[in-house]
Amino acid sequence: MATETARTEVPPDVTEHLTTDDRTGLLRAMLMMRGIEERAMTLYRQGKVPGSFYDGFGQEAVSAGATWAMAAEDRLCILHRDLAAHIIRGVEPWRIFAQYMGRADGITRGRDGNVHFGDRTKGCVGMVSMLPDMMLIATGMAMAFKLRGEARCAITWFGDGSTSRGDFHEAMNWAGVQKLPVIFILENNQYAYSTPLDQQFAVNPIERAAAYGFPGVSADGNDPEAMFEVVRAARERAIAGEGPTLVEAVTMRMHGHAAHDDMKYVPTAQVEEWRAKDPIDRQVRRLEALGVDTQAVRDGVKTEIEEAVERALQSPQPDPETVLDGLFADEPSLLEDGNAPWSGFRS
Amino acid sequence: MPQMGVSVAEGTVVEWKKQVGDWVEADEIICSISTDKIDTDVESPATGRVAEIIVAVGDTVDVGVVMAKIATDAKPGEAHASENGVGTGEAAAALEAPGEAGELIGDATDRSQAKRYSPVVMRMAAEHNLDLSQIQGSGRGGRISKKDVLAFLENGGGAEEPPMHIESPYRPDEPAIKRKPKPRLQRVEEVPAQAAAAPAPAAAAAPAGAQPLSRMRQAIGSRMVESLQTAATCTTIAEADMSRIEAARAASKLSYLPFQARATIETLLEFPQLNATLEDGQHTVYNDAVHLGIAVSLGSGGLIVPIIRDAQDLSVEGLAKRIKDIAVRARNNQLKPDEVSGGTFTITNPGGYGSIMATPVINLPQVGILDTEAVVKRPVVITDELGNDSIAIRSMTYLCMSWDHRALDGAYAAQFLSALRKKLEAWPIS
Amino acid sequence: MPTMTYLQAISDAMREEMRADERVFLMGEDIGTFGGAFKVTDGFIDEFGPKRVMDTPLAESAIIGCAIGASVEGLRPIAEMQFSDFVSCGFDQLVNVAGKTYYRMGLSVNITVRLPSGGGFSGGPYHSQNPEAWFMHAPGLKIVAPSTAEDAKGLLISAVRDPNPVLFMEHKHLYRRVKGDVPAGSYETPFTARIAREGTDLTVIAYGAMVHTALEATADLDGSVEVLDLRSLVPLDEEAILKSVRKTSKVVIIDEANQMCAAGAQVAAIIAERAFEDLDGPVVRVATPDVPIPFSPTLEQSVLPQVDDVREACRELLEY
Repeated sequence: MATETARTEVPPDVTEHLTTDDRTGLLRAMLMMRGIEERAMTLYRQGKVPGSFYDGFGQEAVSAGATWAMAAEDRLCILHRDLAAHIIRGVEPWRIFAQYMGRADGITRGRDGNVHFGDRTKGCVGMVSMLPDMMLIATGMAMAFKLRGEARCAITWFGDGSTSRGDFHEAMNWAGVQKLPVIFILENNQYAYSTPLDQQFAVNPIERAAAYGFPGVSADGNDPEAMFEVVRAARERAIAGEGPTLVEAVTMRMHGHAAHDDMKYVPTAQVEEWRAKDPIDRQVRRLEALGVDTQAVRDGVKTEIEEAVERALQSPQPDPETVLDGLFADEPSLLEDGNAPWSGFRS
Repeated sequence: MPQMGVSVAEGTVVEWKKQVGDWVEADEIICSISTDKIDTDVESPATGRVAEIIVAVGDTVDVGVVMAKIATDAKPGEAHASENGVGTGEAAAALEAPGEAGELIGDATDRSQAKRYSPVVMRMAAEHNLDLSQIQGSGRGGRISKKDVLAFLENGGGAEEPPMHIESPYRPDEPAIKRKPKPRLQRVEEVPAQAAAAPAPAAAAAPAGAQPLSRMRQAIGSRMVESLQTAATCTTIAEADMSRIEAARAASKLSYLPFQARATIETLLEFPQLNATLEDGQHTVYNDAVHLGIAVSLGSGGLIVPIIRDAQDLSVEGLAKRIKDIAVRARNNQLKPDEVSGGTFTITNPGGYGSIMATPVINLPQVGILDTEAVVKRPVVITDELGNDSIAIRSMTYLCMSWDHRALDGAYAAQFLSALRKKLEAWPIS
Repeated sequence: MPTMTYLQAISDAMREEMRADERVFLMGEDIGTFGGAFKVTDGFIDEFGPKRVMDTPLAESAIIGCAIGASVEGLRPIAEMQFSDFVSCGFDQLVNVAGKTYYRMGLSVNITVRLPSGGGFSGGPYHSQNPEAWFMHAPGLKIVAPSTAEDAKGLLISAVRDPNPVLFMEHKHLYRRVKGDVPAGSYETPFTARIAREGTDLTVIAYGAMVHTALEATADLDGSVEVLDLRSLVPLDEEAILKSVRKTSKVVIIDEANQMCAAGAQVAAIIAERAFEDLDGPVVRVATPDVPIPFSPTLEQSVLPQVDDVREACRELLEY
């Protein structure tokens, strides 16, 4: 019954800071993420994508909503189920496909795969697989902002499994001690690979935030606007010098850990329950209630993705002669600002 | 015992490179032997395991005597049937072949060490075309080091022509004891039978350090004595102005020797009675071919006279090359038996040490030997085309030729030297 | 030219860079008010304040990770590991983040990590290690190891200015034992090898404290011994190594680190591959056997390469 309700309800308004265009933009970012990942999965099955393949199906709202709240000069350390963050910051879809296929035009030029990338010209740092190493990188960025007295903040995403590792503690501790402008998004998607939450921790990490001297806030990870609102508030707090925030984005990983994982360890009922809370469906209902032509948005996204795939397939394989290049930098090559489409930054 | 040249009748085992029970491949060196003509390594005629060594180190046996036996049905790494006490006879192949090589061997461990060189030594040897057996190693266990090679090169080891000389009483002591093929000679000297062969009283009375003569020294000695007792040796000396040769060699970077050899060859063809042998009362004169012997010092190990056949066909440069080649191979025991016999005239050239005159001993059965000594600058009287005399400084040398009065007379020898002198003094300079 | 200890030269380098470039700041445990476990940063907090001389929690991963984060934002952090041994706790950040970020994403990581290393003073298994080879195996990290006061200053300044992660191996044993003329002001020392003493018969290749061991061991040998101070392990100055080996044809390589896969092993491999035909003897290594560094002075001295060990190795090879 609850599931049935979920399938039809129009989500409540949770923020006063989004225009209809913002809300449509969030839908578009999520549709783009899902569309790219579904299309890439097809390419994967067609043998065009090497390695394995990871997606964020069902979790689109987490990265879309959080990223929508970030300013151009803010910095993002992005997890592999957060493709919408890259899209919102301005990475072109065709380069994402090229990245998946290991082509020369991928963000990492074939040096890394999957969503293991970050476009430095968009203020993004790609993840490394040792989660949550990037918590410390984001903390270090925040440290730089504080040292220079800049009103900027850093944000990073990591999973429920990451909270078990020492770097989680080291980053939370250091950020708390220094009151750094950093936002930690704990993307709680119920499983770390096959390990459920009750085998991961005895106390919800959100409660641990208090131990480090800053707030921990839970948010509906399947509602982009809820995510936006929590992160917007956290960002305000951060740039006001009040320190970090731990945000728990409660969501569900609807696909296996990677392409090979049939997810048999997840009860069907659990999947069905979360399917009813699909973030895209919810945002569509919200926008349709506002009279937005969401089908046009879908069509636009679909066309753009097909064009992107065509272009990416034209991208050459990386030149083996260059494989040793670029181990060391001759000149500094740093982060630059990315797109920040939220209307709030233009007012 | 293999036949190492037609005149060789017997040979002495210097060293067995393989011992009983060792595996030996066909054509692998199995022993070293010494004859009165040449010291040489002997290659195994067959592949198999050394079953028996018959001729001990130091023993001298006639050509054709079986020296060792190789079991040719053995397998590497396996005990031979004979070692298990199972039938030996049929399996063991006698390693004697009349007129061919039999085999012998010494300490396999020593040998492997002696042949192991470091990469840089191998490279330098290749670059400088060095014969590493000519270099005495100063490293661990006598290993040749890069330093040794550098010292060898610095001392002229790779230079155009090493000094040479013939069986002359004026042969200076070689300072280069290092170059002595030490292990081989030591091994011979250590052989008890060899020591016993020396006169007992002499051995007892000898001062500390006295050693029996080496096989080669003994051979040289007996041949020199035989020459002086057999030939009617006379020595004639002429003086030659080498100024033009000096100029010619300055241009070609060659030593005096190939020029002197070339002039001698041409002169011999004009005076063939000196280009000859005298044996059993027969004076064999060669009118159109000169087989020129060049005395090569082996240091304290003795000397040898390899032959350049048909030397009349060689230019100065060709002669220089051949002389160097035979000298290197002589010092490396690589001469073939036929290269040390059949000469018609010999040149000996100890001039590198500054001596100016000598009376060489004829290399029988030849009838003449030319000794070329140091070229030195002296004031000489020269006469110009108008008959005016003046004193000039010129590069002069003495041409000392010993000849057999049984075959020719003094006037002929003097004419020969005069003709040779004129050729040297009129050498065309290009 | 002022005379300084190795330690003072390191301090001087940081002071010069911090005065000249406000992007440069320090992070580490007990480096502020206390001035560091070895007093390398003594007085720094007074001159530069706590923001630029940052006392951190006891968290090596955080120190390195945050340094990386600050660096990609344009700062030039110098992070101190109190003892190089503790870098194991920050290993992941160095190997997986710092070393790979530029190659993957073209994002340069300008951090310097100071690693007080080495034994010889009964520090025991956790205060005596030479962990440089752990990181030589990880692409993307530069590693330098000065042996003199002058190089300590110049290499540290170069490290700070280098847009890449640089591990600065500073040998604790040299801190106050090595003194020398150090140019005043700012200067960069290149990441190349240096000939500590010319020779013709044998080359001893070493770095850090072992350079001094090599010089002492070979001062009165019967043979002309060249001592090559690598100074930089990544990049490794292959040409300098090969040039010296081609000259002398004999080489002894010293590592204070444990022998297995140490820096010297790589040097030996380079020589075997690229100078084989110049060798006049086996490549000889003198290194610490593969055991933890023991506490007892007797035991410690029996594993760390001593002057006599090096002298004997050289003598043997000279005679080879």
